[in-house]
Amino acid sequence: MNTNSNVYTVIYTTLIVVVVASLLAFVAMKLGPAQQANAKAETLRQMMSAAQIKPAEELYAMSNADILQLYADTIAEAYTIGADGQPNGSLSVEKGKIELIDKLKPQNKAILAGAAVTLPVYVFQSGMKVIPIYGAGLWGPVWGYVAFQPDGRTIAGAFFDHESETPGLGAKIKDESWFREKFVGKTVLWSESPAFRLEKNAEADGSVNAVDAITGATMTSKGLNEALNVWFKAYEKHFNREEE
Amino acid sequence: MAQKLKDTILNPILKGNPITVLVLGICSSLAVTVQLKGALVMALSVIAVTGLSSFVCSLLRNTIPNRVRIIVQLVVVAMMVILVDQILKAGEGTYAIDKQLSVYIGLIITNCIVMGRIEAFALGNKPIPSLLDGLANGAGYGLILVIVAFLRELLGSGTLFGFQVLPASYVPNNLVILPPFALILLGCIIWAHRAYDKSLQEK
Repeated sequence: MNTNSNVYTVIYTTLIVVVVASLLAFVAMKLGPAQQANAKAETLRQMMSAAQIKPAEELYAMSNADILQLYADTIAEAYTIGADGQPNGSLSVEKGKIELIDKLKPQNKAILAGAAVTLPVYVFQSGMKVIPIYGAGLWGPVWGYVAFQPDGRTIAGAFFDHESETPGLGAKIKDESWFREKFVGKTVLWSESPAFRLEKNAEADGSVNAVDAITGATMTSKGLNEALNVWFKAYEKHFNREEE
Repeated sequence: MAQKLKDTILNPILKGNPITVLVLGICSSLAVTVQLKGALVMALSVIAVTGLSSFVCSLLRNTIPNRVRIIVQLVVVAMMVILVDQILKAGEGTYAIDKQLSVYIGLIITNCIVMGRIEAFALGNKPIPSLLDGLANGAGYGLILVIVAFLRELLGSGTLFGFQVLPASYVPNNLVILPPFALILLGCIIWAHRAYDKSLQEK
């Protein structure tokens, strides 16, 4: 057979693309649920680490099933808030039907554009409220979860993650527990601008709402600072209202 | 026959190592060698992709229209890479590592070793030797990756596989973590390899 004829070439390429595409679609369909379960457990680990349920190392050593159980055992309620900061919907926290808002990229876009956005608040039985943050680091997105004490302004814990920050430098926001521990006990000053500062030498003047940026990770720190403040601003009405 | 098979397997790991002799796959070997665990998963992924792509392309070798052969190879390699990525993402234990390697798993497609072995070997040989050739070339790449990652994690973080091995008094060297140091290390490995094997030296 002449494998160099035009007809053969067209049919051959069409066939191989169709075969490969269907195979990949099939695999994606088969593995999709497992991947989503992994992503969900990952989000829960980060939220529970922020809420000081257990240290991150222990949470990362637990299986997905144990993580779901632990979340169901420690969460009190989860709801969404609208632009006015008032709760306007609820998220299921029942084991087996846990609902999360974990697509933070479109949320972040909406916040930056000033559009109406529905934001999640996760309330644990300890009274701690966990909220997400999201922004741009040096190489890719950075995000995290911040837990507040019942007073709505003292940070009880935080967990940060990133897609592709430089290992050993920007990646410290996730890898080094001393970094997230620095946030514990700090206060978000909701009515001030900025409400929180993650900057070089920010701790030097003794501010209650400041954490030092990471040496050698200027752009990652800047991105995280921006992410914190943009999202804090979006949650301001919710938490500031509680102060009154 | 046995000698030829032995050459197919050993040559890419030693005398014809894709990184130190052919100087292919340098980009990813700079990027994913900060930590040993990531480097190991990357090495295994590349071994799987080179092996399976060579095998499939060798099966198809007599049917591929010559004018579009690069595109057909690319489709096969891309499929293997996406499969590896999807499987890593679906595994409960490998999800975190896949996240850490992020784009570099996807970028295996652009690793010259994969396409290079298909062009140079798989299109002219039977499937089984092609599979072995692919696996061996992946292993040659992986070996260097693991050596570099071992040194970089040890000197740059004082750890191995995340466990502290150097005393706490050791101050981690930030230069080791940056990509330029990986290039310097690779240069040293190439130097050592050539000094050991005189036949690699140009007259």
